[in-house]
Amino acid sequence: MISQQLNDQITRIGADDDAGMLLRQYWQPAALCDDISFGLPLAVNLLGEHLALVESLKGYKLVKRIVTGNPNAAHMPAAEEITLDEDGRSYPAVIMKGIVFAYLGQGEPPKFPNFDCFRAPDTHVFAFKGLWRCNWLQALEVGIDPAHASFLHRFLEDEDPSKGYGKQFRDTADDTDIPMTKILRDYPRPEILVDETNYGLKITALRHMENELTHVRVTNQIFPQAICIPMSREMTITQWHVPIDNNNCYWYSIFTSFDQPVDKKLMREQRLKEHMLPDYAPIKNAGNNYHYDPDEQAHKTYTGMGLDINVHDQWAVEGMGPIQDRTQEHLGRSDVAIIRYRRILRKAIADLQDRRTDSLLMKDLAAALIKGPLSNDAITKTSEWQQASHAADLVRRKLCPWDASI
Amino acid sequence: MAKYLDEDGVWLKISRTAELEGPRPLLPLELGNKRYVLFRDDEGYLGLIGRNCPHRGADLCYGRLENNGLRCPFHGWHFDRTGQCVEQPAEPEGSKMYTQIKVPMIPVTERDGIIYALLSEK
Repeated sequence: MISQQLNDQITRIGADDDAGMLLRQYWQPAALCDDISFGLPLAVNLLGEHLALVESLKGYKLVKRIVTGNPNAAHMPAAEEITLDEDGRSYPAVIMKGIVFAYLGQGEPPKFPNFDCFRAPDTHVFAFKGLWRCNWLQALEVGIDPAHASFLHRFLEDEDPSKGYGKQFRDTADDTDIPMTKILRDYPRPEILVDETNYGLKITALRHMENELTHVRVTNQIFPQAICIPMSREMTITQWHVPIDNNNCYWYSIFTSFDQPVDKKLMREQRLKEHMLPDYAPIKNAGNNYHYDPDEQAHKTYTGMGLDINVHDQWAVEGMGPIQDRTQEHLGRSDVAIIRYRRILRKAIADLQDRRTDSLLMKDLAAALIKGPLSNDAITKTSEWQQASHAADLVRRKLCPWDASI
Repeated sequence: MAKYLDEDGVWLKISRTAELEGPRPLLPLELGNKRYVLFRDDEGYLGLIGRNCPHRGADLCYGRLENNGLRCPFHGWHFDRTGQCVEQPAEPEGSKMYTQIKVPMIPVTERDGIIYALLSEK
């Protein structure tokens, strides 16, 4: 449990709020490049500000737009309905791998790190987004919680892994023939190790199996509000949780492939089936009970909300209410990464208040050199898990057709 | 009669037995601006407990009705009809944390097809 005051401090995103000021120190995903085809100016709702993406001399920028009434937080008026606020501030925008990133802060924006998702050629990345009706922090926290996958995403029966392209947890684990869904189901009490790194947190979930074998899953928190996790043996997901306002957020993901080019048409089709444009609101949502089916919950999935793990996460975080009431929470050992994350978030907020911006993670020049991060699943002899996880990552990088060396 | 008084206190009508006769005996309810979930366990007893999981606040209305209680789909925390946590399957073997976890609970009773909650104790 934390105090209401602390909960406010780490969740609220206004330009004068502590977390809002911190997030403004970093590039924020503002739109998908695909959406530029809707026409410019393109409405952007970001960090409580009503903005529009327009062309600039150097490419694109964000300018303020005038909003009348009290529209839905994610409302995107059509280009011809947008009135730009010519006197308002404008913000720089750049395109990286299918996402328009914007910088809403003062001073120099940081350099982009040399992560796999930014290094891979355009053929090997795919970007998408989705709307969640809740505060950004609870959305991020579900992504740094390795235990939940054994419950929330539990499949009571396994699917054919060869039909799992483009879907989370539907591959086999490492080079075995064991479906990931089976490992998650059979070993629900992972030992979770958290290391502070120069980019945020490295989170290692060890699932100790039979015969002295251990499943090692490495995921990452990238400061301030992204995660990098394995999706399949071939792909990782780098995902930002971006505030629209205090009570709504978008997830933006870059899917990065280490081997074959990404089948973008299939990836986009799979995801458009689950979302409505132009605001990327999920078709399954609180208003229709996430298509909850008690019979499916009894026999097929843990939630009864279908096979798309995004919907499970959406239900988990939206059900907490617009801003999770952390004065009532009871964190356990499985929440160790969340506890560590809040600690580095609070330290960064304190550093910013004391104007020690040069000590902020991912803000200095060295951040531009950071590669990786290691993000994979491996099954190994328990005694060798540390080396084996690293070795599996190196093999994948060596075989990769683009330069993924670290 | 929406309310009645007995030796325990004031009982308020909150639902009808028929509302819980479907395949999934569980209902979301709001009492005094607070959100609750009413469910019937395998023994046939009713539980009226707070709607948000005490762990990280997930919505127990979508919980799994199993093992004579209600299980949160987020991390499998399992609650009996009194709101007492009886299992935390993601916590380390041997952890006793669950014994300290309880969801707010309101006593309920059923009479002639009507379900009452104990609004205020005497």
